[in-house]
Amino acid sequence: MTSSPLRHPARRGLRNARPAGVLALALSLLLMAGCAATPQIDEATLASVPRQALLDDVPFHGQRDYQCGPASLAMALEHAGVDAEVDALIPQVFLPDREGSVQPEMLATVRRHARIPFRIEGDMDALLTEIAAGHPVVVMQNLSLPAWPLWHYAVAIGYDLDAEEMILHSGEEPRRRESFRAFDATWARSDRWAFVALPAGELPAGARPGPATEAISDFERVQGPAAALPAWEALAERFPDAGMVHFALGNARHAAGDEAAAIDAFERAVARQPDLAAAWLNLGLAQEARGRSDAAAQALRRAAALSGRWQAQAEAALESLEERHDP
Amino acid sequence: MMKTICRYLSPLLIAALVLGSLPAMAAPAGSGLVSTQDALSAEQVRSDRERIHEVLARDDIRDQLVAQGVDPAEVEARVAALSDAEAAQMADQLDQLPAGASVVGALFAVFVILLVTDILGLTNVYPFTR
Repeated sequence: MTSSPLRHPARRGLRNARPAGVLALALSLLLMAGCAATPQIDEATLASVPRQALLDDVPFHGQRDYQCGPASLAMALEHAGVDAEVDALIPQVFLPDREGSVQPEMLATVRRHARIPFRIEGDMDALLTEIAAGHPVVVMQNLSLPAWPLWHYAVAIGYDLDAEEMILHSGEEPRRRESFRAFDATWARSDRWAFVALPAGELPAGARPGPATEAISDFERVQGPAAALPAWEALAERFPDAGMVHFALGNARHAAGDEAAAIDAFERAVARQPDLAAAWLNLGLAQEARGRSDAAAQALRRAAALSGRWQAQAEAALESLEERHDP
Repeated sequence: MMKTICRYLSPLLIAALVLGSLPAMAAPAGSGLVSTQDALSAEQVRSDRERIHEVLARDDIRDQLVAQGVDPAEVEARVAALSDAEAAQMADQLDQLPAGASVVGALFAVFVILLVTDILGLTNVYPFTR
């Protein structure tokens, strides 16, 4: 390429055109990829997390073939106390024809192993906060450009704010260091999709009541209320003002057979959110089951007065209660 | 003989099937309390059509997973572990969902472009660029 035996005048023009072509290519690539800049980290986050963090206790499982999904899951689950082998996870999460694993099944597989998958907020602040709290984070990256995607799961286990580097168990490489800039550029292409897998009773450092309630409820549907009870207790402790959380806690306690504690939780729920008809209804039914018909009637009346999905059920329960007690 | 067996067996089978399908319909709390899952789904603003769609979605996914080469013995447990929202997402757009696989399905021409973007720090395809 550097020396050519024949020097045509025409090649001169070509040579001049080359830098322009490279420039045009680079510009178009920048447009395609979006301008990758070093991600900004919030002052509040910087004040609350250490300058460096590395979760030494996250085991590494190298991926084979296209198994970055099962390998990442094995690392996150093992850290959460599950004895999960990559070979056992492959038939549970891998899609042979796609030669990969899709996001919903990554979360579902965590549930199968009795751990709760919590999606975290898609920004560097949430990511660093979880790592600083000791939670390894499974991230999805597109290592390539949007036009020729190279989807990849990795486990973020550490960072260095001074070196501006993330530390990840990724592919076949343990403790791989990626600059914040390159990491964020590849992570952004999955809309910064990430989750932590935690045992029931542990919550993400950046948990918010709405999404966390959904996550635990989805877990409860698969693993049952007894398994979810510690998670509801923890969430109610973290967010004592969320009526819906106390309501869910009441249901789990009721399923565990602890009626007195269930009633206590339902009472907290309606105290915090007086328009939560389902909580009034459950409070009434639970009181009735304990033989407290006055308290039951009082709660059922509140439920029956609220229009919505549970009104008819509340009216029927109130009617049958009154029939039984005032013949 | 066969007839007598059938006469006793049929009601038993019917009862077993009906009982077996009950948990899917009944609230898990068991004593008529509103379940957390029902209360949450009632809170979300969704039409009945969407709810029905979510129920049917799981049947859809079973077929799709088998078509994608998943062991039929695993399909049931995989579908059961999905949340309603995840099931709907899988049923609607399994083909478009990104599948984490770490394999480049690109041509050689693309190799050169990705090499440049790797060096620019926009991508991370080739480990040797770091």
